[in-house]
Amino acid sequence: MVTLNFTFTPEAASKVHDILVCLAKFSDSVSIEARRDRLTFTALNSSKSAYASFALEGNKFFSQYECLPGNGGAEGRFTCSMYSKALLSVFKGRLDDARGKDTAIDHCDVSVQDRPDQTECRFVIKMVCKQGVTKTYKLTYESVEVMHALFDKNMANNKWSIQSALLKEYIEYFSPKTEQLDIYAEDSRVIFTSYTEKIMSGKEILKHPLHTAVAVNTSDFREFSAQEKMHIIISVKDFKAIVIHADTLKTNLKAYYSYPTRPLQFSYASDGMYCEFTLMTAGDHSEVPTPSATVMPTRASTRVQSAVSERSGSRNERLEMPPPTVPASRASTRRVRNPSLAKRAPSSRPADPDPESLFIPADEEDNRWDPVNYRNDEETLGWDASADDGIGIHPTFRDSGSLTRSESQDSAEALPPTQRISQIQGLW
Amino acid sequence: MRFKASIQNISTFTKFTASLNSLGPLAWVKLSKDQVCFTIIPEQGTQVWAVLSIDTIFDSYTIQSAAQNVINLEVPLTSLHRALKSALQASSASIRLTKKDNVPLLALTIVTTSTSISNSGTTSSSTTTTATTTAPHGGALSTSGADNNHNHDDGFGFDGGTSSSSFECAFGRERETVVTQEVPVRVLSPETVAGLHEPRCREPDVHILLPPLLQLKGISDRFTKLALVGAKSGTGAGGLGGTAVAAAAAASSSSSMPRTRLEMAANMHGCLRLSIRTDAMSISSVWTGLSNPELDPAQVTGGEEGIRDHPSTKMKELGSADGRSEEGWATVRIDGRDWGKVMSVGRLGGRVIACFCHEHALILYVYLPNDNGLDESVLTYYVSSYSA
Repeated sequence: MVTLNFTFTPEAASKVHDILVCLAKFSDSVSIEARRDRLTFTALNSSKSAYASFALEGNKFFSQYECLPGNGGAEGRFTCSMYSKALLSVFKGRLDDARGKDTAIDHCDVSVQDRPDQTECRFVIKMVCKQGVTKTYKLTYESVEVMHALFDKNMANNKWSIQSALLKEYIEYFSPKTEQLDIYAEDSRVIFTSYTEKIMSGKEILKHPLHTAVAVNTSDFREFSAQEKMHIIISVKDFKAIVIHADTLKTNLKAYYSYPTRPLQFSYASDGMYCEFTLMTAGDHSEVPTPSATVMPTRASTRVQSAVSERSGSRNERLEMPPPTVPASRASTRRVRNPSLAKRAPSSRPADPDPESLFIPADEEDNRWDPVNYRNDEETLGWDASADDGIGIHPTFRDSGSLTRSESQDSAEALPPTQRISQIQGLW
Repeated sequence: MRFKASIQNISTFTKFTASLNSLGPLAWVKLSKDQVCFTIIPEQGTQVWAVLSIDTIFDSYTIQSAAQNVINLEVPLTSLHRALKSALQASSASIRLTKKDNVPLLALTIVTTSTSISNSGTTSSSTTTTATTTAPHGGALSTSGADNNHNHDDGFGFDGGTSSSSFECAFGRERETVVTQEVPVRVLSPETVAGLHEPRCREPDVHILLPPLLQLKGISDRFTKLALVGAKSGTGAGGLGGTAVAAAAAASSSSSMPRTRLEMAANMHGCLRLSIRTDAMSISSVWTGLSNPELDPAQVTGGEEGIRDHPSTKMKELGSADGRSEEGWATVRIDGRDWGKVMSVGRLGGRVIACFCHEHALILYVYLPNDNGLDESVLTYYVSSYSA
């Protein structure tokens, strides 16, 4: 039995939306861990090569926070997992939009109904709107053990920090179809290269996505202290998800890593929110002396074909879930805060979940010259089959372990309409 | 084989590739000493043969090849367009042909200089960044790659040195970002392209300067949409349940798509007519007061006499300037969706002359605006007419 009640301001609810959008890019299900002093949202991708965590401080992020775990004393916790799209449909974008004054929410109450004497266990979210409207969402959840990826910052002798806005600018140059991101430093320059390693021949070669290298000076970084001539390779999709979220907070993003094939961590913090991403890396460090005593087999970075399939074996071993306790070192780093960022105005700009739109948007003037896409023009049909609405009404569980991301996306698109068109024919 | 140039007019080049890309994913690019030709020959639909003078898009242009200094490439337009889009804010951009892992590619090096939006306290005196060439060059292309590198380094050093000092006092720091975009291409042999010929067509019956394309596109898009709606309500009349809707949507995206035939007609008295006819409706829009350019005797075979016998001279005797007469129209039937793709060229803002071969073909000449009035760049669109 657990007591968990908390209240958000509209600004915080909007931030929760941004968090969920980001987590949804890693996994279908989001895990929630509540402790006495903080609430943590986490996600682990299906290949266990990327882990994302957002810790929200109880007395800072929330306007009211109360968590009394049933057992375990001070270290006790309540954990559960939920379908991320179900939560996303509750925390829609623009919750704090000033333009929608009449429909804007006043605050958001969340409680967990987990009493043995009640028939239903539900995660209850109440959106208390202006004009006396209250929307109540009762979501089912799965009770799971939440695990965290371990990352030893002491081992990470390479670190840098940079404004998220700059990284956002860089990722806009990348082709949306690329898979890998190579981070490489040389001669006071850092080169971010987005590319896809695929062997293609003949005409197929022309379908190869753009290979993009963005070279920037290390002086554009807030801080840069990392080994040169070392290729660190991560998934460009993960990187984009992180940068886009970090940019909603207009904060500085920090990177910590040791050497290729060891985990890399991105972290940033803002206003009682601590975001950490632990990613597995590939790459080549044969040119540099190994910074630790461990001898790692040299991987030929240029021959990484399918990042996930080839590396998944070793990744699983390394990122295999450690014991679900937060080490003392990790807990203490969370307290480090940048006071200058504390009073930043919340961003009202919703993160765009469409990965296609990451590229520089075409200027509107030019857009009108594009041929009209008649196929998507369903204006005469008048119903929206977007996954959000459908899932909002049928919240459901997904076992992320057995479903790949793409599979579940398909299933979401295949959701039937909630109402037959024939039933509402009278409207026309 | 070597090709390198700095891109002089990034916005024009970007819009140009966007227009071509709407018609097909691949372009045959023929680079030669004094012009650049882009040709799109899709499996179905309109062909484009574009000839650009070098200075329309390039500057300091170098080309060299064993085949009379002509290079033929097959270029994926989506990638090229995307690469160019990242240069829209650039302070300089250059393009060159190179080779990496034995794959030929067009490498664009884009330098973007911007004042730092940084709130960071750290400042540094050095703001210059030099170009990256990630390609290990090989084969015949290696020399060109090396040469390029050298030139770029010089260019950047100069840029950074002069501008950063002035900016540093005024706005804090200036940032320079160098982006390298690599577009994979295929080099085509002269034999491969020898069989490609520009379509030949008989002398047109009517030639006319089209009204502003945005207006024309707006109306033709609307007509096409109406044709689709008409076709949909016809087939989907059985029932509007969820499955029927899905079936209709599927049908419209498959080969059995409803026909969206637009009828375009023009006369030699400044009239253009766009119409659509379905079972349920017949709509048409008429423009009057457009101009029919005079033929240049130097361009017509047979000179003055050729003009006298020219089909358009005979068409002048028929029809009227108010567009009410049924005589004197040269008509073509075109696919509305394909026409929408053609209209994409409007973004370039060129002058468009349409040549109508009655019941046969429509040829559009799009003249790009240029400063010197000499080497004109022209895009030629060949739209064939469906039979009734």
